[in-house]
Amino acid sequence: MKLPKQLQRIEEYLAERFPVEKMNYASMVKKKEVPVHRLSWGYYMGGLALFFFMVQVVTGLMLLFYYQPTVSDAHASVEYITNHVPGGALVRNIHSWASSLMIASVMVHLLTAFAMKAFSKPREITWVTGVALLGITFAFGFTGYLLPWHQIAVNATKIGLQTVEEVGQYLPGQMTAWPAAIKEIIQGEASVGQATLSRFFALHVIILPLGILATLGIHLLSVQLHGMSQGIDGQPKRLEKFFPTFFLKDLRVWGVAFMALFVLGLCLPFESLFSYPLFEPFNPKGSTPDGIKPEWYFFWVYYPLELLPLWVIMLGSALLGGVLVGTPWIFRNTSRRTLVILAIAAGAYLVVMTLFGEQIYHLFKG
Amino acid sequence: MIDAFLFVGLPYLAIVVAIVGCVWRSRHERFTMSARSSQFLEDRQLLFGSAPWHIGVIVVLLGHLVAFVLPKVWSSILTAPGALLAVETVGVASSVLAIAGLSALIYRRLTNARVQAVTSTGDLILVVVLLLQVILGMMSALHFRHGAAWSTGTVVPYFWGLLTLSPDMTYVADFPMLFKLHIIGAWVLVLLLPFTRLMHVLAVPFAYLWRAPQIVVWNTTRRRRQAVQATVASESRRAFLKGAAGVAGATGLMAMGVSEKTVNFFKGPRPDAEAEADLLQKKLERLQITAQERAYELERQRNDMILVARYAELSENKGKYFIDYQMQPGLAFKGQDGLPIVISAKCTHLGCTVGSDLDAQGRVLCPCHISFFDIRTGKPNEGAPARTPLPAIAWALVDAAGKVVASRKPGQPIQGRPAAEVLAQCSLYITKPGRDLA
Repeated sequence: MKLPKQLQRIEEYLAERFPVEKMNYASMVKKKEVPVHRLSWGYYMGGLALFFFMVQVVTGLMLLFYYQPTVSDAHASVEYITNHVPGGALVRNIHSWASSLMIASVMVHLLTAFAMKAFSKPREITWVTGVALLGITFAFGFTGYLLPWHQIAVNATKIGLQTVEEVGQYLPGQMTAWPAAIKEIIQGEASVGQATLSRFFALHVIILPLGILATLGIHLLSVQLHGMSQGIDGQPKRLEKFFPTFFLKDLRVWGVAFMALFVLGLCLPFESLFSYPLFEPFNPKGSTPDGIKPEWYFFWVYYPLELLPLWVIMLGSALLGGVLVGTPWIFRNTSRRTLVILAIAAGAYLVVMTLFGEQIYHLFKG
Repeated sequence: MIDAFLFVGLPYLAIVVAIVGCVWRSRHERFTMSARSSQFLEDRQLLFGSAPWHIGVIVVLLGHLVAFVLPKVWSSILTAPGALLAVETVGVASSVLAIAGLSALIYRRLTNARVQAVTSTGDLILVVVLLLQVILGMMSALHFRHGAAWSTGTVVPYFWGLLTLSPDMTYVADFPMLFKLHIIGAWVLVLLLPFTRLMHVLAVPFAYLWRAPQIVVWNTTRRRRQAVQATVASESRRAFLKGAAGVAGATGLMAMGVSEKTVNFFKGPRPDAEAEADLLQKKLERLQITAQERAYELERQRNDMILVARYAELSENKGKYFIDYQMQPGLAFKGQDGLPIVISAKCTHLGCTVGSDLDAQGRVLCPCHISFFDIRTGKPNEGAPARTPLPAIAWALVDAAGKVVASRKPGQPIQGRPAAEVLAQCSLYITKPGRDLA
């Protein structure tokens, strides 16, 4: 094919995904309608994730006023926020809770969007940016986990990064050493230390937020351009206006979410969910805490990682990544019935691994 | 004598008459227990008189009531800085409001022909006594300032003395005339209660606040339809107002709470110099720990061997702690054959550091959950919480010349069998896992 023709095809493709004639208030807000059917609750999940993200931005900026990203000061400054700054414990606790809730709603959002076939043409770009957002959200979780610089945080980060190095054993010849080099590039030094803390901090508060804002911009623009996906086979019984009807309902959900988050933040310290009292500052001479685990949202990959050989997990995650990115094309002709079943199966796996991962691990490893 | 009548006789007289009179009137003339509204006759001036009067007088009376019923609570509230000033200000402002409203009501009652037609002598007496009473009260408040505070120690005990049937006039005897008149006025009003429209204070229509609106109309078809429309309109207005009030209240409360939190958050704590110094000290210690740790790690990265101890320092029943290549604690003993025993000291149960003292069976104890580990095999005792043995650690004995005379890797036999006199000159090293010694 000749180059001009290819360019023309690319242009046509983009024009269909980003229709300029629809980029106005009338079609993006005024005329947009939301179908009402038994899966309608799925339409709230993205908004909920967005809400928790906004909470994270606000509380994160507040924490930034007091947090100090150095190995000697990090834990002390977190302690200072918790014990001395007025309302500091509340802000930090809300930040922890909202991070978990954001990841939970992002996961549910992914599953519902999949089940409703919200990725079908012309919404491919919405889906792919969504997958990117998922990755960024997990990266937020991983980098933010290190910042308090306590025993669990540092050791969990060490173990997480160790996984990268272990990939080396499956690579031929000279490439064996590459993953270890990559790990050191991520860490910034031979072991997790000040350089790691500095760059995780930079990632967590500058680079990832910029990345998520850009991706989120494209994601939301596409959502408003193409409207809500129909969600079910056949015509929905009823449509409601996006603005103001659905928008107000969305706000109501946000209000309830804020209420729940605030009460949680006020009453239940996030750390109380951990069964081990390991939140003393990172002490390099102290032994690696046993029973150390990542945050719950990594259980679905962590326990299989502990049980199965690494290459199975590598293959599996590569496959999963490929399938996630390629979903709009792989499942182009799949019926919504099948998609719902697949989403339920995936959801069941996530729930079982998150809740009973430890028991399953002990079942096989004794 | 006259004081005794005014401050003891009059009160009891007033109270008895009021109780008897009110009970009698409420049983025999139920429907006269009202303020006999004249809203039908004139409603414009009434609004500007009645509303301020009632609002003002209710606020003032509530202040009196709280001071009388809960004097301790009241005076503790007033000790807060500014509270007394605020209470006095609200009190005077409310009495001004009440006087203004009552004056408007009196003017209306004296000038409006329709209203005069339903005005009785009792009404006029009552309204004048009320006006005088409020003016007296306000003047007392202005002349003898901070009455909200001093009344709890004077008028309130007098009042309670009367109620508990042990009247004590000593409290009242020294009051200034102005204030005495205010107290007498109060008892006169109590006396007037059953004989005038003042009795409507006992028939407060609280239900009015939440009952559905009632509209009185002549019963014709057209009027009925209008009434239905009016009801619907006022219902929806009520619903809207209730919702708006709820949302506004909730938003206001939330804004207050959130701003209180955020303002203080950004204002930040103001720790004292001592706390500041402690914090700095803590940070310095952490930095030192980190630096030391770095040094250890570097040593273990660069060197294939790390010195544990001189051979002479090893003991048969007391282990020597060191840090192994995994940056975990380890223990070194002298075995019965004279050669070292080097094992990890990190309990395989929950990672506690095991003790260094050897018991009679050649075992060390993990104190956290009581596991005994045999140091020769590393194996835990039967039924211990720990299941897996403590791993052995590769070691080497180096003589004074720097030559390796004996070494052992985990799971392999000892290599080299130095003589006792050579041993005494040796030092014990741990060797890097996976490295062959030169």
